[in-house]
Order: sequence, then structure tokens, then C-alpha cells
Amino acid sequence: MIETTPIIDFHAHGGGWTNRAFPDDPNTYIKQMDITGVDTTCVNCIWFGDANWANNLVFNRFVSKYPGRFIGVAFVTPHYPEECIYELDRAFNELNFKFLKLYPDYYGQSSDAEGYQPIYEWANDKGIPIMCHGRYGTDAPGTTQLKRYEKFTKDFPNIKWVIAHAGGGTDIDSVQTAKELPNIWLETCGSGIGLRAVKHAVDYGLADKILFGSDMPIMDYRNQISKVITADISNNDKKKILGLNAIKLLNL
Amino acid sequence: MGKVDLNFMPKVPVFDANAALGRKHDRRVNVDSVEGTIAEMDRTGVSKALVYAPHGAAYDSTEGNQILIDTIADNKRLIPQFCANPTFDNINDFSKSLKTKNVKTIRIFPPLHNYPFTEWVVGEWLDWAESEGIAIWIPVNYETNWHPSIDIDPTQLHDTLKNRPNLNVVIAEIKYADFSWVMPLIRSLPNISVEISRWVIIDGIQRLLNAVGDQRILFGSRFPDSPMSPQIYNLHHNDLSDSTLKSICSKNTERLTGVKI
Repeated sequence: MIETTPIIDFHAHGGGWTNRAFPDDPNTYIKQMDITGVDTTCVNCIWFGDANWANNLVFNRFVSKYPGRFIGVAFVTPHYPEECIYELDRAFNELNFKFLKLYPDYYGQSSDAEGYQPIYEWANDKGIPIMCHGRYGTDAPGTTQLKRYEKFTKDFPNIKWVIAHAGGGTDIDSVQTAKELPNIWLETCGSGIGLRAVKHAVDYGLADKILFGSDMPIMDYRNQISKVITADISNNDKKKILGLNAIKLLNL
Repeated sequence: MGKVDLNFMPKVPVFDANAALGRKHDRRVNVDSVEGTIAEMDRTGVSKALVYAPHGAAYDSTEGNQILIDTIADNKRLIPQFCANPTFDNINDFSKSLKTKNVKTIRIFPPLHNYPFTEWVVGEWLDWAESEGIAIWIPVNYETNWHPSIDIDPTQLHDTLKNRPNLNVVIAEIKYADFSWVMPLIRSLPNISVEISRWVIIDGIQRLLNAVGDQRILFGSRFPDSPMSPQIYNLHHNDLSDSTLKSICSKNTERLTGVKI
């Protein structure tokens, strides 16, 4: 039976990565969004050394061209700390972006590194959500997401933290982190998925803390949304994950 | 507001071409029994599944294959696929056991079993499989706690298989990151099919169809590491004809295994 419910993709990228066969033609996004019922896609651009260029790409190629179908997600690079606060102000005040995506793997520094502190302070002042990966290749042995986010949520209590690629649910560390700490959400996209992963996270009481994401244009919307749609959970919980939680989180 | 079928079920018969059955040594898997596997198949609308034993991959093909047969017992919905190690197994004994158990496909693991996929290592086995009509599944990689994830060498695949046009080979668990070599490989060798449990690249199904048509693409799930239904859902939302959908979901696997749904 076909049902109607808001569907928001929390995790997509703009900017081509064509040497890996991932072009970012917005028409492809729109086509797949229409096929899968996705109303709105949150687009970030994290693949450039120049955040100004990247945020403009998101705005010009997606947000302003297709009103209502895309939400802008800001990006800044701590390799140029002198530009970060200006660019954050511009992205949120002028471009009306809704949250911030950081990509510490790309910088070669984990999200605890000193360079992020001014960014976190700024986001904490404004109450801006931040999405980034939970673990990194550069992590010291014994690092856990729970320890990492314990500090983050204590130091920056106004930030809503979204752990990208974590809603798989078989990642006990991320599930435990979201269960034990306030202000932690889990996002679902990824190239793989564990069996009963989404159900596992829901069974932990996290149905209100899971956000559907696609990872477009790397992954296909259909593969990613199917993880939620075909999960062994209630339809009400599916609706929350598909969009209702994102609406609440972003005050849409 | 998005319109979506929250109670999706497939509209065509489904034959899973890539599932495992049984325990693993390095962790407890979510489902390791016939009952659990059948329950997931019923929940997701999968009629039959081609299954291999993880023990046969990780440690010993003979013992793993025997465990598999014992585990399946007389269940008709689980179709056994034997693991093989061409560098150790005796080809005559292996061939006999295959015939005795009426098994039509095998699975080999060159990187895991630490041998190059070259004529001087696997030639005799490929000759045998070609002459007997045995299809060979080769996963791109296979990881255990003592063996890191190492991908198979695409050049070895190409150069070893190019002179064997009558041998059916299924490259299993191709990933989005393999796009750069998988597409030229399947274009250049018409006897290679692909199993798509990990193929989640944007427009992945259409890209494969454009390259090789619908007779060389096999639905698989990678169960129980992954759920069965997401790729089935994807296939049902690719605007495929009924004929193409049936080919990918079951017919191609029926043809290679000799087992009808």
C-alpha cells in the first residue's frame, strides 16, 4: 500500500567526483528523488580546498535552481582557519544553509583536533547541528565514539551532533553513544549495511534519533532508502527515520 | 510529501545468488541456521537461496562443505554451493563429492587462500569446470579476523579467463569502488556475470544493463552479513521490464545453477 509521508535525505554531496564515476548532475538527483519519493535532499560539498567555492556550488547548482528540493549544508576547512568564521556566517546568514558538514578524514585530522575548536564554538553559539563521521583512520588506539562525544556534548551542549554512516545500527559504539548521550543522531547511508541494522538501533530506543541519508552521488537513492523501507520495524518508525526526525532536528 | 510503499514485497520470484549459511569462527553472525535463513527469506519474498559455508572459505573446504550439506539437510529452498581451494583440494575427490551431492556451482577465494588467479595455478580446475559445466563464483574479496580485505587482481581475472569462453564465472560482491575495472572487464569477457549485493553505486543497475544486458546480472544479498531486501527493492524501482526483472532476480541464477525456483 502506498503511503504519504515526508522524506528528507540528510546526506548527499554536490561536486563531481568523476574519476570515481560519480557525476553530480542535479537532474539525476531529481529523477531518483521522484522515483523514491524523496521530497528534499540536504546537499553538502566537502571535496574542495576552498569552502567558499564549495558552498557556492551547492547554492548555485542545487539550492537556488530547484527551490524546495534541496537544502544547503555548509562546509568549512580547518586548513584555512582564518576563513572559517567568515564563511560560516556567510553560509548560514546569506545562503540560508541549515547545518554544517565536517569531513575530518579529508583533512587528515580527527574531529577532536584543535583546529575545529573555533568552528565548534561558533556552532555552539548559534545552535547549529554538525554532521561528521564518528571514527577516523588517525584515531589513537582505544578511541571510542562514546568517549569522543562525551567531551563534545559536555563542551558544546547546544550543538546537535549527527554521526554520519552510523545508523547502520550494528555499530555498537555509535548506537551506545546515541543511547547514552544527549543531542546525538545517527545517519544511515553507507556502501554496506548490517543485517537488522536499522531494527537494532530502533530496538535500542533510537527511533527518534535516526536519519535517512543517501550519500548521493556516490550511492544510489534506491539502495539507501530501501534499508529503511524494508527494515523489520513499524511503519511509524520508518516514517520518523525517512523524514519526520529530520524535520524536527532542522526545525523545517 | 513523498509517496512510498512501506510494506514492499517483490512482484517476481527471487533466487538469492549470494548467501552464507552456518557459523563463522571470528564472530557470532546474526543468523546461522536454516530456520533463521528461511524466516528472513519468507519475510522478504525470497524463494530460494544459493548458500555456501563460511567455514569452507576461512579454513577447510571439505569440512565446510560437509557442514553445509548436514545443515541444509533436506531443505529444498537452500541450494548448496561448495567452496574449493584449487591449491590444496584433490580435483578428483572434489569432483566426485560435487556429483554425489548434486552441486552445480563452486566458490573460490584466491586472495583469501593466498594464490594468484593464474593459468599455472588454477588452469586444471578451470579446464575441469569448463568441461563439466560448473559455474564458478569468485568474490572480489573475503575478510576474516586473520586475513585483511585484499581485492582480487583484475588483470589476473581478465588474462586467465579470456581464453575460456565456455566457462561461466560470476564475480561476486562487486563494490562501487570497483567500477573502474569491473565495467571494462565485463564488456571484454562475455562469459563473466556479476552478483550485485554490494553494487550500490548511483544508477548501478542501469550502468550494468547498458554494458552487458540483462543475462549476466545476478541478484544476491550477502546474507546474513547484510539483509536480503534492499537490493530487491532497488531492482523493483529501476523501471525494468518484467522480463529483465525476472532475469536478474532469478532466471540467470536458475540457468547457472540448473535449479528452478
